[in-house]
Amino acid sequence: MITMDKTDISFFKDGLRLDGRRADELRPVKIEVGILERADGSCYIEMGGNKVIAAVYGPREVHPRHLQDVTRAIVRYRYNMASFSVEERKRPGPDRRSYELSKVSREALEPVILTSFFPRSVIDVFVEVLQADAGTRTAGINAAAVALADAGIPMKSMISSCAAGKVADTIVLDPMKEEDNFGQADLPIAMTPNGNITLMQMDGGLSPAEFHEAVEMAMRGARDIYELQRKALVDKYSQLAGEPEKVEVHACD
Amino acid sequence: MDRKVVVPGDLLSEDAKRSGEGTYIKDGSVYSLLYGLANYRDKINVIPLAGKYVPAPGDNVIGVVKDITFSNWIVDMNSPYDGLLHISEFPKRIESDEMSKHLRIGSSIMTQVKDVDPTMKVELTLNDRKLGLIKTGRVIEISHTRVPRLIGKGGSMISMLKKEVNCNIFVGQNGRIWISGGADDTDLALKTIALIDKEAHTNGLTDRIVDFLKTEKGARS
Amino acid sequence: MTNVISEIKKDFIYNLLIKGERVDGRTFDQYREISIERNVIQKAEGSALVKLGSSQVLVGVKMQPGEPFADSPNRGVIITNAELVPLASPNFEPGPPNEVGIELARVVDRGVRESKAVDLEALCIVPGKQVWIVFIDVHILDDCGNILDAASLGAIAALLCTKVPASRFGLGEDYILPIRDIPIATTAIEFSDVLMFDPSVDEEAIANTKLTVITTASGNICGMQKSGTGMLKPEQAYRIIDIACEKAREIREKFLEA
Repeated sequence: MITMDKTDISFFKDGLRLDGRRADELRPVKIEVGILERADGSCYIEMGGNKVIAAVYGPREVHPRHLQDVTRAIVRYRYNMASFSVEERKRPGPDRRSYELSKVSREALEPVILTSFFPRSVIDVFVEVLQADAGTRTAGINAAAVALADAGIPMKSMISSCAAGKVADTIVLDPMKEEDNFGQADLPIAMTPNGNITLMQMDGGLSPAEFHEAVEMAMRGARDIYELQRKALVDKYSQLAGEPEKVEVHACD
Repeated sequence: MDRKVVVPGDLLSEDAKRSGEGTYIKDGSVYSLLYGLANYRDKINVIPLAGKYVPAPGDNVIGVVKDITFSNWIVDMNSPYDGLLHISEFPKRIESDEMSKHLRIGSSIMTQVKDVDPTMKVELTLNDRKLGLIKTGRVIEISHTRVPRLIGKGGSMISMLKKEVNCNIFVGQNGRIWISGGADDTDLALKTIALIDKEAHTNGLTDRIVDFLKTEKGARS
Repeated sequence: MTNVISEIKKDFIYNLLIKGERVDGRTFDQYREISIERNVIQKAEGSALVKLGSSQVLVGVKMQPGEPFADSPNRGVIITNAELVPLASPNFEPGPPNEVGIELARVVDRGVRESKAVDLEALCIVPGKQVWIVFIDVHILDDCGNILDAASLGAIAALLCTKVPASRFGLGEDYILPIRDIPIATTAIEFSDVLMFDPSVDEEAIANTKLTVITTASGNICGMQKSGTGMLKPEQAYRIIDIACEKAREIREKFLEA
């Protein structure tokens, strides 16, 4: 296998990144709502080369019973990668990384879900990565939020997720594969549309000032993704209703 | 603008008094909890497209027996919550060991929700003449979110349908519907309900249903 | 979870059946609408998304050099796995494949292996030391009935567009994996002496017996699996085989012949 040496790549050429983007540009996003029949809610998302499906089942009965909470629904999130989703075939089944991702992703969504409406039940979120291209956890959370809405789960707001990174001492939005592997820092976040952060992780090296810049940039990216999630949901409804809906962007503050 | 597609978190009004179903209040403003259609009247209600049926006292439901304990039938209602039909709520006095003789696993029943406690323990009853074991006819399932439209304001839609198709119809709030009548009549009832299910959220549905029934019945005779 | 199929539903299916009808209006030997999209996962060496009615199955093929099995030192290796992931059905639980998932993978594998669709000798790189390993990974996305036939279709469709990634491993140029046959699995259930092909979810739930027949392009049978707790008469098996050959030919011609 030919490995890339950090020093071999120049991440910027004429101010543009390896895939032609500017520093603050998102990769192309495609969102499809309600693509599965068995699931109560579902969403397929493409972000760059990421292809991710999220499905929601629930609220439904909890098995095993001892996990029940008499006052609220419990939320479960399972992030899983298909064997063929990465360059070197991955052995099926969860690993330590997927357990961690599942936990923080669940904690990114749970704050806005009205779990008290459904005592003694479970809301299951399943995310399958069909093709990975850096940023699968953010794609998963974005798809999961749409799937939860599609399933009719009551939520205080949507959740949108995006990452920022640092490459060649420059803060960039939505790092791609090479930037993620050979860059200097990676900072995924998730937030409500009005800027309350529900997921934040960082690895690499950032000065406090760089951190500021990265967070601001990631939040702007998340806000753009929110508009796309909202549009996908509204368009889907209009499709079902058969009447063209005038889309007024009526987002929460 | 009296109806609009909304997603969770959308700002609906700055007047907290207008908060209706499917909404919440924060800092004096009203926001949507759901993905669905916001209906702007005195109160703003958000009607979802999807969601699970949550039993409420007084609801008529059609359930399927899934288990039998010493004194209860456990009933599946197509909900996150099962119903408990206690032996004392059976219209006849029967012994515990006779329970499966009267209602066995897989039996469908027209029942009513008697009570729901804060932990969502749901108690059902069969103590009413219009309730009981389903022996004939057809049971179909639609999304429970469509049931209000099927019933109509003050029951107008369902009464009209019952009359026009000449069938017995029991509408479960959980989306399960029992229809009993002649073969052709039942088919027409099913087709009409399927149409209401598909177009529940559109305007002018009542008129379209009236027309549909007229055309179909005309074609038959 | 939701395995309670009510008597009402059972009766309804039965009442239609004795009139020669199915719930969705199909004839007993009719397949639902099929669509096959190839190369949906560019990172995989080959891939296919199969839709059979509302059932959806994604199959990915990955290849890498590896050691041959001790008892076949000059032959490539095929490893087939199926993930019945919980997002595809309320009845699938997270965890390693259970007996149903393992059976599905092994039947899909049987079709590929016994039809000799892949020339394993041609996958030898260094005799006794290095051969190509072909991973066929079935990922169920939506179980609306008969995911076995969909998975089997997905496997051969993915193989048909697989490119051997030789250049990645310094083993020459990439080339299309040569495929020598097109095995197709056809599944039927038996209920009340009636045979129904391509069962829907409800039909699967009421049936006690299922028979899958895998046929090759020349019309021979290369694999078979009876599953379920019911019994089958030989005449029923012969009838299923006849129809299976016909159906497989139709599907092969329509979708998979290049």
